Amino acid sequence: MTDTGLTGNDSLILPPLAGPGRRATARKAALALSALVLAGLIGMAIFAPLAAPYDPMEINLEERLAPISSRHWLGTDHLGRDVLSRLIWGARASMGSVVVIAGLIMATGFITGAFSGYIGGRTDSVIMRVCEAFMTFPTFILALFLIGVLGTGLTNVILAIVLTHWAWYARIIRGMVMNLKNRDFILAARVAGGGPVKIFLRHIAPPVLAQLVILASLDLGHMMLHVSGLSFLGLGIQPPTPEWGCMINDARQQIWTNPELAIIPGVMIFLTVLAFNIPGDILRDKLDPTLVERE
Amino acid sequence: MRLLYAFMAAWCLTFGLAGSLFAQNIDREDTIIFSCLSNVGPLNPHLYSPNQMFAQSMVYEPLVKLKPDGSIGPALAEKWAISDDGLHYTFYLRRDVRFSDGEPFNAEAVAKNFEAVMGNAERHKWLGVTGKIAGFEAVGPYEFKLTLNSPYYPCLEDLSLPRPFRMLSPAAFPDDGDTSKGIKTPAGTGPWRLAKIALGEYDLFERNELYWGEKAKVSKVLVSVIPDPVSRALAFETGEIDLIYGLGQINFDTFDRLRQTPKVSAEISGPMGTMAAAINTAKGPAAELKVRKALNHLTDKAALIKGVTLGTQPRAETLFAPEVPYCDLNLRPYEYDSAKAAALLDEAGWKLAPGQKIREKNGQPLVMDFCFVGNNAAHKAIAEVVQAQAGRVGLALNLVGEEEDSFYRRQKDGDFHIILNPTWGPPFEPHALVSSMLLPAHADFMAQAGLTMKADIDARINEVLATTDKAVRQKLYRDILTMLHEQAVYLPLFHDALFMVYRPERLQNARFGAERSYIPFEEFSVK
Amino acid sequence: MLKFIIKRLLTLVPLLLAVSVVVFLLLRLGPNDPAMSYLRLSNIPPTDAALAEARATLGLDRPVAVQYFAWLGRALRLDFGISYVTKAPVTDHLLHYLPNTLYLAGVSILMTIGLSLPLGIMAARYQGRWPDHLSRALAYIGVSTPSFWLAFLMIMLFSVKLGWLPTRGLGGLSHVIMPAFSVALMSLCINMRLIRGNMLEQTHTRQVLYARIRGVKEGYITRGHVLKNSLIPVVTALGMHIGEILGGAVVAEVIFAWPGVGRYMVSAIFNRDFPVMQCFILMMTTIFVLCNLFTDILYAAIDPRMRLANEGSGND
Repeated sequence: MTDTGLTGNDSLILPPLAGPGRRATARKAALALSALVLAGLIGMAIFAPLAAPYDPMEINLEERLAPISSRHWLGTDHLGRDVLSRLIWGARASMGSVVVIAGLIMATGFITGAFSGYIGGRTDSVIMRVCEAFMTFPTFILALFLIGVLGTGLTNVILAIVLTHWAWYARIIRGMVMNLKNRDFILAARVAGGGPVKIFLRHIAPPVLAQLVILASLDLGHMMLHVSGLSFLGLGIQPPTPEWGCMINDARQQIWTNPELAIIPGVMIFLTVLAFNIPGDILRDKLDPTLVERE
Repeated sequence: MRLLYAFMAAWCLTFGLAGSLFAQNIDREDTIIFSCLSNVGPLNPHLYSPNQMFAQSMVYEPLVKLKPDGSIGPALAEKWAISDDGLHYTFYLRRDVRFSDGEPFNAEAVAKNFEAVMGNAERHKWLGVTGKIAGFEAVGPYEFKLTLNSPYYPCLEDLSLPRPFRMLSPAAFPDDGDTSKGIKTPAGTGPWRLAKIALGEYDLFERNELYWGEKAKVSKVLVSVIPDPVSRALAFETGEIDLIYGLGQINFDTFDRLRQTPKVSAEISGPMGTMAAAINTAKGPAAELKVRKALNHLTDKAALIKGVTLGTQPRAETLFAPEVPYCDLNLRPYEYDSAKAAALLDEAGWKLAPGQKIREKNGQPLVMDFCFVGNNAAHKAIAEVVQAQAGRVGLALNLVGEEEDSFYRRQKDGDFHIILNPTWGPPFEPHALVSSMLLPAHADFMAQAGLTMKADIDARINEVLATTDKAVRQKLYRDILTMLHEQAVYLPLFHDALFMVYRPERLQNARFGAERSYIPFEEFSVK
Repeated sequence: MLKFIIKRLLTLVPLLLAVSVVVFLLLRLGPNDPAMSYLRLSNIPPTDAALAEARATLGLDRPVAVQYFAWLGRALRLDFGISYVTKAPVTDHLLHYLPNTLYLAGVSILMTIGLSLPLGIMAARYQGRWPDHLSRALAYIGVSTPSFWLAFLMIMLFSVKLGWLPTRGLGGLSHVIMPAFSVALMSLCINMRLIRGNMLEQTHTRQVLYARIRGVKEGYITRGHVLKNSLIPVVTALGMHIGEILGGAVVAEVIFAWPGVGRYMVSAIFNRDFPVMQCFILMMTTIFVLCNLFTDILYAAIDPRMRLANEGSGND
């Protein structure tokens, strides 16, 4: 998870978001812009079939490397495919995979961590040892290795990134659950006669889940960079499926004649990650300035 | 605090020093700088990958070699005689030849090399001559005799290949004579010798001053390790390398651009192999002759060549180019005619219901798998184009681009309808490729397996390799290739032509070699 | 202090062992067949007989547990087998390429620290004014930029258009500066903001307040107290950065054709060269673990609370 540096120190010194002042306005503006960009991207991803003017995989060798025109708003690539359409459909691959990854990480992290924390005892130790083993690896390196073992392709990329990140979440969730487990109000609930599962679901799960969602959302930008990085290396989503990292790799050969073919998808990745990072940062600021960072 | 400063200072110092250590100091004086996608390997003349063929050809020489016109010429053997029954070959070796380590070259050395290669015969089974060698001996200091167990006309062609029958200095053999485990030094008789290996960076070749023939004009060849085509093109642009040569070194786009760059010479060779797809006569819709013929008719090769190769590769109508020995057969090409393709498919029962995109027969859609290696950009582009063209006629091609392993397995199992299967170029054509059609677990065999006349084809192949009568040979090749052509077992797309790009200001006398993997560096000169 | 180090070193052993088990199991449970890769990379046609022979050669026909212990035994002697591609010992290759990667990573870390320190301090000093805003904007941009895209842009500008820097390869300053920067950018920006944040936090603590009241000069406070304490979390952060830098180095090596272990690993993945993949991950994880250990020790050494506990004196 990346710390973009807007640590909570600012909120000690500066006025909060809801107040007057230039900083607050700037922040509100940034937040609004990010929300807009994200909405746009999500919209692109969902409505790709409607939004894209052409079939992103349609090859048209007559029109390869066409410049910007009224027919092709962003020109065409080396096989004559419309760049704009590929960009729009690429949102699906990129955003979609990030959402799936985040979901799976949350699910595995939550289930493992909550189980481990709630049950405690030997099971807890064992699970924590496994987590530690996974956390020992540097994340990208482990993802590379997993791709090597499993093979390339979108599903394997998702699997690899989930497997490299879940342990950290499991740890945190476990900590939270253990913390809550021993609180007075839980004790009171037990005395009142609630079964363990019910207590868990009603009292422990909600706050933990809330924190989990926040944590995961802070990590989205980072995950996106890993996904596009792996695709760029040729290990992720395979062509001809449009994906931004992949498009940059394809466009490397056009570096002299059509550098924009590589620049534009990069801009998309950049905007997406930025749009994930800004609200994440502001969120972290507001809620818990001393939140432990992980990379 | 002081600790931190000290730490930082130490860090700076270390990497400052490291920087100077790692700094490049390659001497470019009188050197041709080439590039390859990996290091050339230990250069064992009797083994295959990871040894690079062009490098093996620089350092080691065969008894006989292929001439530009396709015939066999002298190399380490000045003359040779073949008995009438085609079983006895006598080679009269060149005198005054020494290996780069000073050892003399003679019949003893040849015998030792043959022994090492035949000792590992299992590994060389793919090469026809290995199964035919009955015996050999050094009959005098400069006379070497080779005996076959049955006549095999391409014996000399096989001996001329870049590997495995090339000569290593006897002093460089391991003590037990088994080169399959390794060699001591890469000492050959060729115009170059391997001077230095820098793993991951480059390999340095120096002129062999003991060479028996005309010595190389340049004193060094440096082969930089550049795995990907874009980096290679960049390196050429910035002058970091002098020469681009071969197949797959750069993308077609890049070649096209370099062609138009002033002060750069970008040349294309004659046909050196064929980019063709093999169609599986034993599987699914591909088993139907009409479907295979339709596939040949619906492919717009001109558009494909223009779009994928930017017009740089010549069109192919047959599996082997007419320039290949015995292959000037005047076979009738399958013209690009999508109406005819549609008609053929209709005749075969694959009909297009109104409003449908894909043809059907008995409720089955006309879908076939087109298999290729996924991370090869050119192959991928070809597959995509053929898919698009087939789609227009109602034939759905499912692109299966995989990693090499899975692709390899597919060939072995015959698990494909159509598979991209380029030929090997001179000096392997036509005999080596035709010979491999006999071997199961090769794509060609698996593709032909469904033909009713396969046994007949195999019989003729065996005959053509054995017969000593040239006229008979020509007839048999005609029979075999005509049968394969008429059965539309292959979809020939274009012939592979090599690229050569250099700056004439810097590099002179550059020309193409006769074989795909031979670069005549010794003739090039540097300004 | 020494006891602390020894204790930490000892925990290394079970950890690395666990890591090796995980790696080994993952490899064996994968869907790909090492025997097939081996044959393909040796240009041997994959007939059933050849496959069986390859399996026997590679020891794949024995039970998993036996395979693991045999493998572990060799691994402890630093024998990770031979590469399916080059047929040369894997350890030799990786040890040959490792210094290049360490060099690149080292320069990246240098850049990270070297650039983030002054920028972070400056941002804190001019907090609220334009240098601070600029650094915040740059941080956001830096953290959101994909490193491979940045590398591409840099090559386009500095090599192709301007011709100032070489496009690829190992070398001195001109060769290493672009790859190192593309790797360092993210960590640099994070660090810069971290330092800024910590310094601001420190400036408002009670100790500093009292020091100011006492009349200590501002500059002395900055150097002596604020900076020192700000840097402690930076050391811990460094441990995390190293993971990202090692990962980022892989991508940079591929783009800049830098002959390091990362580039070698990527081609091994394409080739399915299993012995190389195995050795790579173990090597990199060990390095990562050692680096973390080192930063822990460093942290323990410079954190005054720890030092005070150990040494019993109060001045720096």
